[in-house]
Amino acid sequence: MTLREARIGQDCRVNAIDLKHDTSRRLEMLGLTKGTIIRLLNAKKGGAVIIRVRGTRFALGREIAEGIEVTVRG
Amino acid sequence: MDNKPHNGAELRLAFIGNPNCGKTTLFNAYTGANLKVANWPGVTVEKKEGTYRDHENRFRLIDLPGIYSLTSYTMEEKVSRMCILSDDVDVIIDVTDASALERNLYLTLQLIELGKPVVMALNMMDIVEERGMEIDLHRMSEMLGIPVIPVSARKKTGLGALMHAALHHRDSDARHRIEHHHKVGENAELHREHAVVYSDDVEVIISKLEARLKSTYPDIANPRWHAIKYLENDEEIMGRYAVPTDDIYTGSYESEIINQKYDFIEEVIGEVMANKEEKSAVTDKVDSLLTHRIWGIPIFLGIMALVFGLTFTVGDWLKGYFELALEAFSGLVTNLLAALNVSEFLTSLIIDGIIAGVGGILTFLPNIIILFFALAILEDSGYMSRVAYVMDGLMGKMGLSGRAFIPMLLGFGCTVPAVMASRALEDRRDRLKTIFVTPFMSCSARLPVYVLLSDMFFGKWAGVAAFSMYVLGLVIAVIVAIIFNKASAKYDAHTLLIELPEYKTPNAHTIFIYVWEKVRDYLTKAGTTIFLASILLWFLLNFGAGGLVEDMSDSFAAVIAKVLVPVMSPTGLGYWQIIVALISGIAAKEVVVSSMSVLYGISNISSAEGMSLLEAQLGASGFTAANALALMVFVLLYVPCVATIATIKRESRSLKFTLGTMVMQIGTAWVMSTLVFQIANLFV
Repeated sequence: MTLREARIGQDCRVNAIDLKHDTSRRLEMLGLTKGTIIRLLNAKKGGAVIIRVRGTRFALGREIAEGIEVTVRG
Repeated sequence: MDNKPHNGAELRLAFIGNPNCGKTTLFNAYTGANLKVANWPGVTVEKKEGTYRDHENRFRLIDLPGIYSLTSYTMEEKVSRMCILSDDVDVIIDVTDASALERNLYLTLQLIELGKPVVMALNMMDIVEERGMEIDLHRMSEMLGIPVIPVSARKKTGLGALMHAALHHRDSDARHRIEHHHKVGENAELHREHAVVYSDDVEVIISKLEARLKSTYPDIANPRWHAIKYLENDEEIMGRYAVPTDDIYTGSYESEIINQKYDFIEEVIGEVMANKEEKSAVTDKVDSLLTHRIWGIPIFLGIMALVFGLTFTVGDWLKGYFELALEAFSGLVTNLLAALNVSEFLTSLIIDGIIAGVGGILTFLPNIIILFFALAILEDSGYMSRVAYVMDGLMGKMGLSGRAFIPMLLGFGCTVPAVMASRALEDRRDRLKTIFVTPFMSCSARLPVYVLLSDMFFGKWAGVAAFSMYVLGLVIAVIVAIIFNKASAKYDAHTLLIELPEYKTPNAHTIFIYVWEKVRDYLTKAGTTIFLASILLWFLLNFGAGGLVEDMSDSFAAVIAKVLVPVMSPTGLGYWQIIVALISGIAAKEVVVSSMSVLYGISNISSAEGMSLLEAQLGASGFTAANALALMVFVLLYVPCVATIATIKRESRSLKFTLGTMVMQIGTAWVMSTLVFQIANLFV
């Protein structure tokens, strides 16, 4: 599933990032590497999300949220 | 390092760190408001420099842009890297946010790999301690091989210690001893030398590349770093130090390099951090309200209403007094000049040119100060980043960042501060797009023009006619934004990607410097342009072929206007008096009204009799409600006032962009008023 399908408050494990090369690398540099646990803090109907990754918060647009493959860890 | 400092020599420090790490606050704590702001050569990234003295030691500080990594993806990253690698920097001060240490360490590791002396300024330790977390500074320093100095930029603690560490770390060639607990295997030598050691397969490639780079470029500094850049597919480095690599490796190892750095960061965090994320801060609670999916937008609109109200009610109230004072001053000078028998030409230059020009610049100050005070609070508290998220849906449809809403809204007040507020946008392309459309928001100076014309021509529909201008401006802005976006779609589809920092109490010193920088910038940079342009307009409107003219109708402006009559005929504005009024309106939009009264020889235009007189005069020349509507549309859309043009030039730092904006605006105004005039004519 993609990050967009996760529910608010869920912890997810990043499995893969399927986005344009530059965006993928940028996300990795920000700490969204494979295996990282992220928490979905907030989400909007339009698809934008707020996540917590490695102790910091990021707002991501729908296009990005849909390109991050995750597994929910409860 | 070969160039040892001799006593008393200046130590050059580059401050670098992630956005929101408190780097600028720390930098300001050393330099105060006394800094030199310039552009990096050839690019539009701002460069700040300041100095600091501590006993007999002198320091030159450079504030680099806030960045997350040292690759060459963005202009900011390229500039920072270039600066650090140059000989202008002796020691790198890596400012890190202790409350976001894990992510901050990524840049730290990249800096360490560069091979220059690095000192870490660990900021916000107080916040971390309040939350019950502990960081083992000694162990972190050991694992990274660099000095780690705890500081608080806000409380101004640790400042001396940091400079001291920089001074000493510069003196010592040797890195700190690096000690890790992990298995070192066959790369024991590497582990003693380098904080980050990659997996064996990567290290094999690095050492082969290193050898090849060294044999091809014997002078290359730090071949290991260059080899790593090769693996990261860094085009800049690969171009400058080209070597064949096909027999060593294929493909890109960029992802591996990033992932393995984070593996090491996790190891560091595991060893140095205790009670990680005990309390998850107030930020999440505040955010659950401020970024709420329903309440987020109303709250933002409420905050903006407050900012708008403060800026334009309080600002305009102060502005009123300022204008009174200016008028009194101008009257005083007029009397003085008359008493001194100064020539008419000089009197006009001083009163209508210089005093009016300088006064015109200063009248914007109350608005600008109050607005930037409010924006500084939003920015420093951490709310500004949330705006991007909250408004992303609506603004994203126009291909604009959520934050573009702020300048666009402020545009209804005054375009000058609105364009300046576009600095809240982090991406240059977003900023330009916003600057491009902001002048279409109908500013308050255009209102008197609408009021006068609608009162004269639209009777009981006057209010509707005036209000429709606001709607039209907004609609045009949206359409232009969408077109602009379609045209630049090949670059990058707009995607939100922004950090939301912790909320914090705004810092008075930071806010003061923020406001002061904006004001100083406005006065020195935009102010000079506004002044020169005002003088030019004064010349056009007061001079004719025979020198100084009594009557505007003999001026150069009138000559130009008469030439332009055929061009303006389709818009219904083919009257030279109207065109002169429009030219004078470039000085300030509200001047259109007073110029019209002068040109049609009416003394008190806002009174009932003055209005009916003007209406009669206009009517006699065939100027009807259709022409009036076209004139309102033209005033709404054509080039903004000189102050705005100068501000656009200052903020975009591009003459081409500024001229392009003006051409587009005149074009839009012409097309729209022609359309309105021709259609309205069918009904009138």
